[in-house]
Amino acid sequence: MNIELKDISFRYGSIVALDGVDFNLDHGACGLLGPNGAGKSTLLRILLGFLSPERGDGRVLNFDIRKEQFMIRRSVGYMPEDDCLIPGMDAVTFTAYFGELSGMPRQEAMKRAHDVLFYVGLGESRYRLLETYSAGMKQRLKLAQALVHDPKLLFLDEPTSNLDPQGRAEILELIKDISLKKDINVLVSSHILGDIEYTCSRVVILNKGKVAAQGEISALKEIRYSLYEIKTKGEREGFIEALRGQGCRVEETEDGMLKVYMPPGFSRAAIFETAVKENVQIRSYVKSQTSLEDLFAKTVGVD
Amino acid sequence: MTISEQGYLHWKGTFVERTFPWWPIARLGIRLAFKRKFFKFAFSLSFLPVFFFLAGIYVSERLDDFQSMLKGADRFLKVDPAYFKNYFTSEFLLFMMVMLMVLAGAGLIADDLKHNSLQLYFARPLRKRDYILGKMVTVFFFVLLLTLVPGLLFILFKLLFSGSFAFLAEFPWLPLSVLGFSLCLTLFFGFYTLLISSLNRNRRYVSILLFLVYIFSDVFFGIFYGIFHNPYFSLLSIKSNLQQVGAAFFKVKRAYDIPWIYSFLVLAGIAVVSALVLRRKVRSVEVIK
Repeated sequence: MNIELKDISFRYGSIVALDGVDFNLDHGACGLLGPNGAGKSTLLRILLGFLSPERGDGRVLNFDIRKEQFMIRRSVGYMPEDDCLIPGMDAVTFTAYFGELSGMPRQEAMKRAHDVLFYVGLGESRYRLLETYSAGMKQRLKLAQALVHDPKLLFLDEPTSNLDPQGRAEILELIKDISLKKDINVLVSSHILGDIEYTCSRVVILNKGKVAAQGEISALKEIRYSLYEIKTKGEREGFIEALRGQGCRVEETEDGMLKVYMPPGFSRAAIFETAVKENVQIRSYVKSQTSLEDLFAKTVGVD
Repeated sequence: MTISEQGYLHWKGTFVERTFPWWPIARLGIRLAFKRKFFKFAFSLSFLPVFFFLAGIYVSERLDDFQSMLKGADRFLKVDPAYFKNYFTSEFLLFMMVMLMVLAGAGLIADDLKHNSLQLYFARPLRKRDYILGKMVTVFFFVLLLTLVPGLLFILFKLLFSGSFAFLAEFPWLPLSVLGFSLCLTLFFGFYTLLISSLNRNRRYVSILLFLVYIFSDVFFGIFYGIFHNPYFSLLSIKSNLQQVGAAFFKVKRAYDIPWIYSFLVLAGIAVVSALVLRRKVRSVEVIK
């Protein structure tokens, strides 16, 4: 098991940031989702040993998060959300420097820095001063410094923030490549649902410091939702209210369709019965594919 | 070629346990200092007194040869503990040390705060004290090059030029004084520089502050001393405090008639404040409660 957390709680003064978080990550890529203030960054900081949890236990790569932070930091790569650089340095020196601080011999850190910079696509500009780098290049550089010591586990905090679509696509491709082909496990914290859906097979959704849902994305979508797209004819306001009254979540789309999220155990026949009662014709009735966005909205309770 | 085609190879090496995990940080600080504009010039200029004092030692042993050129100057060329004290506490040397700190030390922590690098450091197996020590050793390197190294060179050259150990026999404690005061200056400038560097994210403000605190502490002392004629106002001045402590180390008469320990305590107080501020400012994460 790469990450095992049991009942982790943490508070900033009187504000509860994490409350009884249980979470396991075995292999592959896992997404950490949640709205702002859900506790994603706090969880990453606890995993790295920056913060000590108020309650609970945890292990990262089998090292205790309270007692063996050094061993964790040696085996884990961390890509922070903010732009990080040291002015006056070029990318090779910068990457090698952090390799050396991780405990790599100096010569090997330098050699490895070149390799990693080529891997992330900064090979041609590796001798340029970091101050002259674009936002996308800085993002790749952060990934390079996180990979330089060949970590077994990679923590990526908002890896695609400030990137243009092309840069975003390349970083996502890189993350996918790392997790699928390079035998490095990845924990991606992001609020961009598409990024998580593209790169991760598992997801942990945090809300108000608690785990709202976790598991395989495909299984979660299957279990939690029955989403149907319905086209109706007639006065549908009463129909929508009646469905809501029965526990369904109903959204009207721009093209006049209704998206109906049925709660577990809700009978499909009840939709037709309600339509008859409300004098509405159902012209189209299609089971829809739920997206991570739907899952997130349902779990966290936001649109 | 797309990124994923470029390959990624796992590293087969083994991590090393460093005895001095702070050394890469110190080495980088020294390297980056030499990349800064004007630093090499200021650093070279700082060695001017070394050459003058070394020349003084040579001339002091050859007074007969230089008699015609040095009418009445022989009293300045008496190489004794006061000669060393004059070097270590000369206004020019102290000023140049401040200038070197402005150029090489201002950004040591300020740059890391501004560019959010602290979290990268602490995501490595590194303690807070390793980080601070690494930054401080950068300062130590430059200050020791201007204090301990010349001080020991002066003693060595004095022995070489005189051809006897009489000088050491007369002042056997002098090497210890050189070592002690060099360490005192080094520690003070280390704490002083890091204190101010950690107070702001902007290197320019830090540079200005480093310079102004040193200068204005002396200006205020001058103003108050001029008005009240009370030597205790010398405690306000960083420069005077260093000179008072220097005089005590080299066992020469102090410029102001107050116990040297007061000056030492003022300098130690600055170091303690610095340690407290650094403890608070140097963090892996900024926790806002």
